[in-house]
Amino acid sequence: MTLKLDSLRALDEIYKALDDNILQAALSRASYNNQVKVTEILASRPEISSLAIEVREIKRRSIMKLEELIDRAISSLKAAKANPYYASSVEDARSIIGRIVGSNKLVILSKSMAAAELDLRSYLESQGNEVWETDLGEFLIQLEGVKPMHTIAPAVHMTREKALILLKGKLKIDVKEDTIESIANTAREFLRSKIIRADIGITGANALAADTGAIVTVENESNIRLVSSIPPVTIAIVPIDKIVPTLLDAVKVAIIQAAYAGLYPPTYINIVTGPSSTADIEQTRVYGAQGPKELHVILLDNGRLNAKSNPLLGEQLYCIRCGRCSFECPVWVHTANYWGGPVYGGPMGIIWTAITIDPIEAGKLAYLCLQCGRCDESCPVGIRLSYILRYLKTIAISGSMSKL
Amino acid sequence: MFKVRDLPLNPLEVVRLIEDNMKRYGFPFPIPADAIYSWAKPLGLPARGSPMLYTGALYQLMPYIASIIDSLAKIEGSSVSVMALRVSRFLPGFLTGLVVKPRGEFQVYSESILRSIVKLLKTSGVNVAYPYEGDLYSGVLLYDLGLDELFREQALKVYKALKERGATTVITVDPHTTHILRSIYPRYIDGFDLEVKSYLEVLAESGFKPGYSIPRDVVIHDPCLYARFENIVDQPRNLLASIGVKYLEPRRTRRMTYCCGGPIEGLAPKMAKAIASSRLKELVEKSKSIVTLCPICYSNLKAVAGDDIEIIDIALLLSGEKS
Repeated sequence: MTLKLDSLRALDEIYKALDDNILQAALSRASYNNQVKVTEILASRPEISSLAIEVREIKRRSIMKLEELIDRAISSLKAAKANPYYASSVEDARSIIGRIVGSNKLVILSKSMAAAELDLRSYLESQGNEVWETDLGEFLIQLEGVKPMHTIAPAVHMTREKALILLKGKLKIDVKEDTIESIANTAREFLRSKIIRADIGITGANALAADTGAIVTVENESNIRLVSSIPPVTIAIVPIDKIVPTLLDAVKVAIIQAAYAGLYPPTYINIVTGPSSTADIEQTRVYGAQGPKELHVILLDNGRLNAKSNPLLGEQLYCIRCGRCSFECPVWVHTANYWGGPVYGGPMGIIWTAITIDPIEAGKLAYLCLQCGRCDESCPVGIRLSYILRYLKTIAISGSMSKL
Repeated sequence: MFKVRDLPLNPLEVVRLIEDNMKRYGFPFPIPADAIYSWAKPLGLPARGSPMLYTGALYQLMPYIASIIDSLAKIEGSSVSVMALRVSRFLPGFLTGLVVKPRGEFQVYSESILRSIVKLLKTSGVNVAYPYEGDLYSGVLLYDLGLDELFREQALKVYKALKERGATTVITVDPHTTHILRSIYPRYIDGFDLEVKSYLEVLAESGFKPGYSIPRDVVIHDPCLYARFENIVDQPRNLLASIGVKYLEPRRTRRMTYCCGGPIEGLAPKMAKAIASSRLKELVEKSKSIVTLCPICYSNLKAVAGDDIEIIDIALLLSGEKS
């Protein structure tokens, strides 16, 4: 059940995608709209570009002292009455989460690429749980049975016609009208019935503050709020590259992620520090008020500390997953995440695939990179993506991690 | 008969083919040695001195590459090779030792561009030397494909050839060669001390005043490497303005210019064409006369453009040869 990448098979998929006119039209529209939105945000709010430079520095310093931040985050999480775990590998993370969840549970997920890295939905289902994605795009992806097609817009390839067929076909739900609004309403009603009864809620994170153990997420749908507050037990999966020194740093990361994703101001920024509690009676704190009684935090390594020791791959750890590099990439605009591994795709996604799955196979896919540098120019945290992609080619052709 | 869809090439096989050609011919594609410098013979340029014009062979290679891409695209789309590609993913052997015929009209075009560049420099008071058989391939493709050791060897050969002929300043003619020499060679060659400039920078600095005017509208297509990596954005615009050309900017331009697809034309011709078509559409929204600054951009946009669209290399426009 380990996720793998077969680059030649991926190339076949990419070539099929080139002939899919509906996909080509959807991607062209999505990338155009995203480019226009981000350009507008940056032009009208000069403070965003300055903040991006600050975030670049925050990320650079955080990765430099990553090991120290991990230790601090673990102490802070304990102090906040959350339960931290360090997971070195996918297997580690699955078994930790598997023990917390158990079986015969109703589990709800907010869209999380870290969960996708673990192929968590299939894993939990295989353990006898009912699992639902609550982000609309990711929910449609779940019904379709494919991988996320963009890091922030997983259903970027989806049309309303396809969404209707999925809802009717897979869930046997009748959608009243064939409008996007009606599709969203139908999905909301269906998911509400699951959310309200869920035993476990699982989220990702945009950033984790080492000083406080605060987990920051940013969203528009409000599903992360529900997933992280309604079930009695919640789990946050936090890739270790998302740890920053302070809560203020973490909020800055979330703001920049949203702005460069073209969503500014974001509708919600959530801060969760430990499980819910009340001290209203006799000023004595008890855990489990209206929110969860237990919060488990999985710090996921999965190749990241190893990448840190490599000067080029280590730079990818600054990534805040806004996905702007994909929308700006001339290749991605024709392929979506078919150009990528089983989880991540596009310029940043090829590199994340190299870090978390297989550098040689990812390197073969890097050969589609034009080295045109639009990704480098677009990246809010200044990752030299095209240089790293070229480096991955040297790995693929030589068959080993060559010296730099 | 069922229609067989296009299959992708195995990138590593294409890279091996280029590696093999490089070792055999000194060029990534088979090309007769004198095809690189025959254009310069009638000009009587000195073989030693500085500034030295160095082409890196890219303009001269393009007519050959265009022919090869045609063959690759045929393989990519042909049902005959489907089984071979699917089973073993190897490139048919006939391609490897293939003596390629250049596209004739393209070769004439490339050579006229190079001669125009020499003429433009001369008009601006810059007399160049030219290394003839020392005008070796720059190795840019080796670097782009991750063939680092082979690239390093080639870079050293080029450096030696230029130094031996007395170059201290090197004038380049295309964005790929400019970038590789100026920004990449110093990382691979200890003590690299050549000054590298694109002829567009040299012309702009020399106060290019040709004394003729070519009033017309064109849309400018910035090459990625000039715009994003070498900061050559304003120079071509100022040069165009100095001969009265009105240049229009496409939606994505200057530092955020959009790739022509060319760099992957040999690895994924179908994808390269799709990218070129997207870009062409955007350029044509502004004008059906497109100015390119790079032979790869020229070739790729040309490959998807109809007869009603004119693509002109900036050197021909500036020298008044195409007006």
